Amino acid sequence: MIRRFLPDGMLLAAALIFPYSVARIFLDTPIERTMGTAFKIFFFHVPMGWLTMLMAVICGVAAAIELRRRSTTASAVALAAAEIGFVCGLGVLLTGPIWGNATWGKPWTGDARQMSTALLWLVIAAYLLIRHYGPSGSRRLAAGLAIFGAVDVPIIYYAVKLWKTTHPTTEVVGSLPPALWAAFWPGLGAILLCTFGLMGLRIRQLVLAEQLDEAWVRVTDREATDGTDLS
Amino acid sequence: MVLLRQIRLLLLAELRQEVRSFEVVLTSAFFSVVMMALFALSLGALPVESQLMAVPGALWLSVAFVGSLTLTRVFDRERESDTLRALLVGPVNRMAIYFSKAAVALLVLLLAAAVLVPGLIVIFPGAAPMAERPLFTAAMVLLGCIGYVAVGTLFAAGLAAGSGKNVLLSLILHPLTTPVLMFNLVATRALLEAHPGADAYLGRLAAVDVVLVVLGAWLFEPVLVGGGGSGGDAARPARTGAGR
Repeated sequence: MIRRFLPDGMLLAAALIFPYSVARIFLDTPIERTMGTAFKIFFFHVPMGWLTMLMAVICGVAAAIELRRRSTTASAVALAAAEIGFVCGLGVLLTGPIWGNATWGKPWTGDARQMSTALLWLVIAAYLLIRHYGPSGSRRLAAGLAIFGAVDVPIIYYAVKLWKTTHPTTEVVGSLPPALWAAFWPGLGAILLCTFGLMGLRIRQLVLAEQLDEAWVRVTDREATDGTDLS
Repeated sequence: MVLLRQIRLLLLAELRQEVRSFEVVLTSAFFSVVMMALFALSLGALPVESQLMAVPGALWLSVAFVGSLTLTRVFDRERESDTLRALLVGPVNRMAIYFSKAAVALLVLLLAAAVLVPGLIVIFPGAAPMAERPLFTAAMVLLGCIGYVAVGTLFAAGLAAGSGKNVLLSLILHPLTTPVLMFNLVATRALLEAHPGADAYLGRLAAVDVVLVVLGAWLFEPVLVGGGGSGGDAARPARTGAGR
């Protein structure tokens, strides 16, 4: 029962927390001296960046389980994670240049983390294209791609440390003043609840679609064997 | 030992097939020349200091495109006569298939690089440091190509084993190989700019290669024939497509 309504409950909680977090971000935190209002992007950009990475890892792990056990649920988790990772990655790539324009004077600096996030997003997009438009048997191929994508995450993270970068270091989040932290956590919580709620609904929908497909195959098999029309 | 013997036998068979026509080697070498001509036309007039940034891109983009062409052609042979399926049902270690195919693709890619690197040195004066440090250049090209074929062989084989269109290979290959190509770009630029820490980049490239080769070899069997159990989406009639 709890499992059935958990995604709906998470979405409801997100709907309640989100207006509160937006009010905290825009009304309770001061305007940053150099960046002005564009700094508020931080509260959405960072959680979406974290979620893109997290979804790439979830997609990779689920794909590995799918390859190992041929699990329908793992396959659904991988696809749902990739879809959410795609949306979050798009959010990061759209909000990042607005931040960049305010901080560095131009939206795209070719910075290592900008490039690597764009690359991770391309891998996720390639996974979705293969899953949606690939021929029969391409799920295994897509799963391999997702695993490589997940392995790319630490390589991408390492790339940031390896190359000189104009991007704020990961320590920026840790050095936030308490007032900004207080506004950051409710927003992160709302985005996480919304993400996992949507993911739960999508997984359930994909599993049901798979079961429907299997039922259809069983019916057509029986029709072919018995020569009866069960439709 | 059995694995090494199987790799050697499969590699010899691949090389024997190639020596009969030199099809993959010649097409890859010709394509390398075409790529060089295009880069010479588009970037040849750049000042030397700008060439330091252009040459790494020209080299590794050419390797990426030649690699894609090579892998497609290597596995087209298997697809045409359905011999990959025969290999998969035969008493052959799947890793031997992976490593032999990767070795063939690597050899062809290195031959293409042997055309590309001297060509770029002739066309772009900014690429002269590659001639001044031939061992570094050779090691860098070798490590860069290993990373590329480690990923490419897995997915080219996956497409050849199924009914996948080859056009999908570029879709998969280029986003996945870009991190390793980025490492290569940085190493090449460090070489051209005579960066004091250039040697350290080779170690990092080697580390990335180890990860990619291990992952590629480990995933080869599951991606081609699946994990445990029976059935799977390849065996199941698709009513609504592979994904939804």
